[in-house]
Amino acid sequence: MPSTDNKGLAKRLSYEISAAWAIAKKDMRIYYFKPNIIVSGLFFPLFMFLAFAIGKNTPPGTLIPGLISITLLFSASSIEPVSIPIERRVKTFERLLSAPISLYSLVTGESLSGFLYSLGIACLPLAVGVFMFGTPIMNISILIISMALTAFCFATLGTLFAAYPTENVGEVMSILNTVRLPLIFISGVFIPISTMPRIGQQIALVSPLTYGNDMIEYAYTGKSLFSPLVDILALIIFILIFQVTANYLYKKFNE
Amino acid sequence: MQAIEVSHLIKKFGSLTAINDISFSVDVGETFGFLGPNGAGKTTTIRILTGVSRPTSGTATIFGHDIEHDTIAARQSMGIVSENSNVYDDLTAWQNMMFSAELYHVGRKEREKKANELLKKFELYERRNDKAHVFSKGMKRRLTLAMGLVNSPRLLFLDEPTSGLDVQSNLIIRDVVADLVHEGVTVFLTTHNIEEANVMCDRVAIINKGHIVAIDAPESLKKTIQSVQSIEISFDHNSADQLDELSHLSMVNEAQKAGDKFKLYTEDHSEVINAVMAYAHTHNLKVISITTLGPSLEDVFIRLTGLQRTGEKIHAID
Repeated sequence: MPSTDNKGLAKRLSYEISAAWAIAKKDMRIYYFKPNIIVSGLFFPLFMFLAFAIGKNTPPGTLIPGLISITLLFSASSIEPVSIPIERRVKTFERLLSAPISLYSLVTGESLSGFLYSLGIACLPLAVGVFMFGTPIMNISILIISMALTAFCFATLGTLFAAYPTENVGEVMSILNTVRLPLIFISGVFIPISTMPRIGQQIALVSPLTYGNDMIEYAYTGKSLFSPLVDILALIIFILIFQVTANYLYKKFNE
Repeated sequence: MQAIEVSHLIKKFGSLTAINDISFSVDVGETFGFLGPNGAGKTTTIRILTGVSRPTSGTATIFGHDIEHDTIAARQSMGIVSENSNVYDDLTAWQNMMFSAELYHVGRKEREKKANELLKKFELYERRNDKAHVFSKGMKRRLTLAMGLVNSPRLLFLDEPTSGLDVQSNLIIRDVVADLVHEGVTVFLTTHNIEEANVMCDRVAIINKGHIVAIDAPESLKKTIQSVQSIEISFDHNSADQLDELSHLSMVNEAQKAGDKFKLYTEDHSEVINAVMAYAHTHNLKVISITTLGPSLEDVFIRLTGLQRTGEKIHAID
């Protein structure tokens, strides 16, 4: 009996994974080149970064880890807050809600498209760092892990905010930006956490960007506030919290 | 085992009771119509039966699977065609079919075979590589139905399948549904087109204000209101005052104009026929046709839901 159960479970799991992948593929085809997603995911972090970086007496190459961090934040969390309200409006979201898949797969599938989009976009500052400024990368494995975890964490955050029951993209984006924008200032991207007042340092601990940025800094410079293991653990905990909360909210708001 | 079994289902939204203790079952292979005015509880019932919404109390099973606790297994045997043609406009017809099949775990070979077959059946095969945003309303509706059938469902939920469609799409959809019924697929149909329910359904349930007020075969329901009979008459020429004059004839409860014909509701056919013939003679009119009619399913619907006719429209009186 246990082997039959395991087979059933494995089959169920493979169904869930393929459904999540199907949702991600659908989002990639439909939304990756929508103008508001390109603006929000690519230009917004770039201009935000330039606004803070220009005029600073810092070698441009050293700014690359910060640029990668905020690119991951904005691009990963930009797909679902656009796609889900649109799909609610045209009633295609109902199609996903009534499919024979779990809400976890739906949330994961939606997040997956933000994750892949974000990794693709973040390769641009990475390439600029390597080819234009010759910015050295100390630990490529940590860089890959940090980018992947940070991207998935913020993609899940985007899916979580898109649970807000509206058909209006602007409404979700406004709420999301009240969280995304402060994160940049309290997570050590522009202002090192060690130079912040005590209260700022404490707030930084509850920001997922703190850990993502810290690990990316480590991958480039070998220096960080926390050990990479702590950063990885913190990001996994944030992903789980966002996933469980998103699952709960989609269930609640369906009613 | 029943295709659908609903027992004492209640759904409340705060203080509003959208569904109030409804129970019914649908046999395997049956075409079951679910009728009701707007806001009667049709959509809420469908949302519960498809596992999108959870009941406040009561149970619903689909082929024996509890929709609340065994949702995925219950959904696996369903096809859902919602009222809105909810296709992805930015995907081609083929990509829409593939996506729908992937959501329902249809293997690659099977989904390609099924998609080819369905797109041909719905006369969309030649346009399979076109994005859906260039499709007409009827084509989108056909694609929605094709997507709902890609997993070869045993139970099909059809919400307003032919509402507002062109003749070609209407005929294709009705033919396909007739074929499905012939193949033993159970169909749960909601429609505002009462004649469609009359023609397509083995049984219908009429829901009003969250209660099921009647559930039976269309012909059995009509027998319950034999007192509502009508005469359809047309004259060689019509004038503006005729409707008002006819409505005041003896034993005429209500008169309606439908195209070049008048429909007079009565409880006594023969009395009204005499009165109409006398009216024609007085006004020097020639009777082109005259037909006596029993109650229609629409009459049953109106009687049971508390709606009333005004001219050619139906208005809620609650």
